[in-house]
Amino acid sequence: MEKTQSQVATGAAVHLTGLHKRYGDVRAVDGVDLTIAPGEIVALLGPNGAGKSTTVDMILGLTTPDQGEVTVFGSTPEKAVAHGAIGAMLQGGSLLDDTTVGEMVTMVASLHREPMPVADALRRAGIEDLAGRRPNKLSGGQRQRVRFAIALVSDPDLLVLDEPTAAMDVGTRREFWKSMYEYTASGRTVLFATHYLEEAEEFADRVILMRAGRIVADGSVAEVRALAGGRTIRAVVPGATEPVIAALPAVTGLDFRDGRVAVSSSDSDVTLRALLARCPGAHDIEITSIGLEGAFLTLTADEKESESVR
Amino acid sequence: MSTTYVRMEIFRTFRNTRFVLFAIAFPVLLFLLQATVFVNTDAADHAQVAAVLMVNMMAFGTISGAMSVGGRLAFERAAGWQRQLRLTPLSGPGYLAGKAISGMLVTLPPLLLVPLVAVLFQGVRVDAAGWLHIVLGIWLGAIPFVLLGLLLGQFGTADSMQPVNMVVTMGMGFLGGLWIPIESMPGWLHTVSQAMPSYWLIQIARPVVTSDLTTGFGTAAGVLAIFGLVFGVAMIRRYRKDSARV
Repeated sequence: MEKTQSQVATGAAVHLTGLHKRYGDVRAVDGVDLTIAPGEIVALLGPNGAGKSTTVDMILGLTTPDQGEVTVFGSTPEKAVAHGAIGAMLQGGSLLDDTTVGEMVTMVASLHREPMPVADALRRAGIEDLAGRRPNKLSGGQRQRVRFAIALVSDPDLLVLDEPTAAMDVGTRREFWKSMYEYTASGRTVLFATHYLEEAEEFADRVILMRAGRIVADGSVAEVRALAGGRTIRAVVPGATEPVIAALPAVTGLDFRDGRVAVSSSDSDVTLRALLARCPGAHDIEITSIGLEGAFLTLTADEKESESVR
Repeated sequence: MSTTYVRMEIFRTFRNTRFVLFAIAFPVLLFLLQATVFVNTDAADHAQVAAVLMVNMMAFGTISGAMSVGGRLAFERAAGWQRQLRLTPLSGPGYLAGKAISGMLVTLPPLLLVPLVAVLFQGVRVDAAGWLHIVLGIWLGAIPFVLLGLLLGQFGTADSMQPVNMVVTMGMGFLGGLWIPIESMPGWLHTVSQAMPSYWLIQIARPVVTSDLTTGFGTAAGVLAIFGLVFGVAMIRRYRKDSARV
């Protein structure tokens, strides 16, 4: 606890400024600025090749940026790692099949200066009963939990999880996030990359959307949704024509089929009032908010289009 | 680095049955085979011949044990475990030192078992100073082989390391005078054998058991030191390049 307090005082948990990294001709990370406050739970989203893993590797000090600066709790990633302030579940990281789960976690704990008791790490990861097993006898989800225990055992202030719930079924994923929540209740910072939008929606305070090495959206789940065009209005509008609907205020897109209209709007109140004023016969009106998935698709698709225009 | 870490490294090695068979049982059995089947056990100089064979097999077992660290290193590198360890306070030198220490410790069983069998079943007798020279000499002489194992482990994959280690160990065994005693080598092979570090490992201990075909302890130690230096520098350079934060 004492450790956390002093590190909170130094300001941001993670601070990235002007981060660039290229591999040959590929700009894996192309100008990322990001500040994560202590205690935040941040989801990092993006299609494959968006630069998520490269960004994560730079935060962990496994990769050096070409340009820009990374600080973790006010110091370099290497120093933060040496102090046991960062715990990470790496993507595709393997386990040692010639040791038991308990031995492996004990071994990693022995390398850290102030680890938590191994039994605690196993319990928090929900694998106490697997301590005597070898990793090659475990299911994919159980192996992920072992990686989680390894990430936890240094009692880190920042947890970085790259696709933590890959290979887990829905039930195991819930369990996993439950144990995550218990851990972060004490003010730990979490950054996780994921493909599961519902996880970001459900567990993150903040969502960062990356595409082509840049951050294209950053905010609360609600803010990111709004950024992508907010809500969709569906209604049956007798006699309406496409130009009439398209001319309504705040419309960002529309789909017209057999007199039934689906209008995407950045301000559904304004659009709806105008719609009712112009077409009083509109009925069966439904308003739905666009999910994070919709936002995700809209934002990443927009980028693609503007790029092809260039 | 921590003692728990090093202890775990050693446990892991001894759990590997292939290792136990190849590095421990194999040299002991091969020694018994050579000392009872290929030489005349009734001859007056049998104990002396057996002592030479004992040194050869001690060296062979030590080399197999020392080189086995390469296989584990290759596996951990390929599996991403090295990356995971880089997220702990364990430094690169600490990681390599841990592997090297465990490599040195796993050479001990063949180094002690072969002479035990030689004394109990083949009548080999050496005085205390002689034993100290043989055992300590071969043990310290294992350093270049541990470094070679760590070097090779950084090139191979987990799958390729087994055959690579086998070929290198057997090559040094056949050509370096471990499996074919240098006494029975044709002249040209004896010349070739001197290019092998394994040849010089035998020469470390050989003066204690025979005066035949010896090069002297100082020369052998010097040549092994040079091999150790070359392997060590190459290993560290390779590790730096491999783990560079690209």
